[in-house]
Amino acid sequence: MKSTRVFQLTALALVLVSVVQVAWWVFDQRSYTQRNAQTLRTAYAGQAAAAQALLEGGSRPERIHELLPNILVSDGHAALSPAASAALAAEQVSRHRQYAWEGAFFLLALGLCIAVIARALRAEAHVLAEQDSFLALVSHQFKTPLASLQLSLETLALRTPPPPQARVLIDRMLADVARMELMVTQILESARLERGRADFRSEPVQLAGAVGRVIAQLEERARQAQVSIASDIEPGLSVVSDPLALDVVMRNVLENALAALAPVGRGSIALTARARGDEVELAVRDSGVGFATADGPRLFEKFTRLHPGGGGGYYGTGLGLFIVRRLMELAQGRVSAHSDGPGQGASFLLTWPAAPGQRS
Amino acid sequence: MSTEAPVAPRVLVVEDDTHLAAGVIENLRAEGYEVSAASDGEQALAWLAGAGCALIVLDVMLPGIDGLGVCRRLREQGNNTPVLFLTARGDPADRVRGLEAGGDDYLAKPFHLQEFLLRVRAILRRWDWYHSASATAATAVLSFGGNEVDFRAFRARAWNGEAQELTEKEAMILKVLAEHDGDIVSREDLLEKVWGYDVFPSTRTVDNFILRLRKRFEADPANPRHFLTVWGVGYRFLKDGTP
Repeated sequence: MKSTRVFQLTALALVLVSVVQVAWWVFDQRSYTQRNAQTLRTAYAGQAAAAQALLEGGSRPERIHELLPNILVSDGHAALSPAASAALAAEQVSRHRQYAWEGAFFLLALGLCIAVIARALRAEAHVLAEQDSFLALVSHQFKTPLASLQLSLETLALRTPPPPQARVLIDRMLADVARMELMVTQILESARLERGRADFRSEPVQLAGAVGRVIAQLEERARQAQVSIASDIEPGLSVVSDPLALDVVMRNVLENALAALAPVGRGSIALTARARGDEVELAVRDSGVGFATADGPRLFEKFTRLHPGGGGGYYGTGLGLFIVRRLMELAQGRVSAHSDGPGQGASFLLTWPAAPGQRS
Repeated sequence: MSTEAPVAPRVLVVEDDTHLAAGVIENLRAEGYEVSAASDGEQALAWLAGAGCALIVLDVMLPGIDGLGVCRRLREQGNNTPVLFLTARGDPADRVRGLEAGGDDYLAKPFHLQEFLLRVRAILRRWDWYHSASATAATAVLSFGGNEVDFRAFRARAWNGEAQELTEKEAMILKVLAEHDGDIVSREDLLEKVWGYDVFPSTRTVDNFILRLRKRFEADPANPRHFLTVWGVGYRFLKDGTP
């Protein structure tokens, strides 16, 4: 903040000094040109007087014109020719214009340089502020499961509860540890994404197979939560993406759907895909808690948790859908979410570029 | 307001993290408190609109209206139920924000169970003292210098006829000072009696509250007659004012 202020003040001082300097320079050049023109006029007046003397001494006008080409003799009078006078005035105007343009160009170039530097500094400050707030948010996110873990441990130590109650506390602690582990994974993933697309591959991926593998990983959990997952994806559909990124996207979207279903207790998740022009669309619908329609875009921001406490043991970290959005952007695709309101379920629409072989 | 301390004080726990809420609730129950729970600010306010409790354990980072907002709204409504904030942010600036919002104490996550229970007990004890010290008709009202303070209603009428709404901290400080009419009360004693212990980063906070009391009740706050500063020590309250 302080360095930005210093830069602003220095830039302002530089601009002010430069404007004064340029104004002085233009003024000085103008005076110099006027003085030069005046000197020339005096010289021409001298030539005219000499020509007049020669004329009166009997020299022929042609001879005088040969000797003094800028002097015109007519009706026995020698004077500066209108053409020379006009050339003198034109030269003066042209010089003034040149100095004005040069001065303005200099100021413009200076202004542009300052704007470029300011922009770079602002971008850097923005990155630093983002990193700061990211760190603050990350540490904040960790403190709640950590507090829960500590509380359970201290409860065990303080109260020595009977085995059934102790079991509840142990399960809670295991879930807290799992929650923190998921957070570490997601934070690392999102940090990698922040650095850009260095490792991102773009290749055709068969959608049904990729989605099927993720569903298989989550099937047991879904069964325990009384959630049915139905997938209707044509075997031929392929998209362009990084295979690992597609896997992470599907896992996060399905984890999110399971979390949205946890407070409801049971429900369904339906996946349908279709080709649409040069793209492939995958819709993931759940019958979970849904969200206020206006909250749709906010879902994909970092650390947005519309149902933070989760329920039934599921906890969001606030990073899952942010990662989905970034990975979809890297795949030149997009993602959007819609819900008709709380309690109405939600649908997520993922769109990838279709693999070249199957574009319609 | 009830004059006798309830047998089992009720605590409202407002925490959106179900695990942490469950842990807090179980431990409070094990200590003999009655416990109610809310998972967000709106739920807490709705619950408090229809019921009362002896203490609110309030998470700061809640979905929707946050803990500070809940506390502010309660104070605006004249609800003086003590609030113990739980928060993931524990730096002094955040603490001050919490206490300025009307909180009584502030505990940063992760916290020690014993410390949490100790703080709950300390807040309830302070309020027990306040209520019992304002229990009789004689102790419920304080008259000085044309001012009249009703400790039970947290209201006052100032010397110029102006009606005043007191915060619970202002009322508590006034109570402590009035109980020691004519004696010097140190800043540390005021902190200990009103806030408990190391809640505030400095004793200067007490000075700010005294300034607020002077503004409310002194005809000339710059030359106080009732709330006198004893340099380097604390304050002396004179019911009858300086001669």
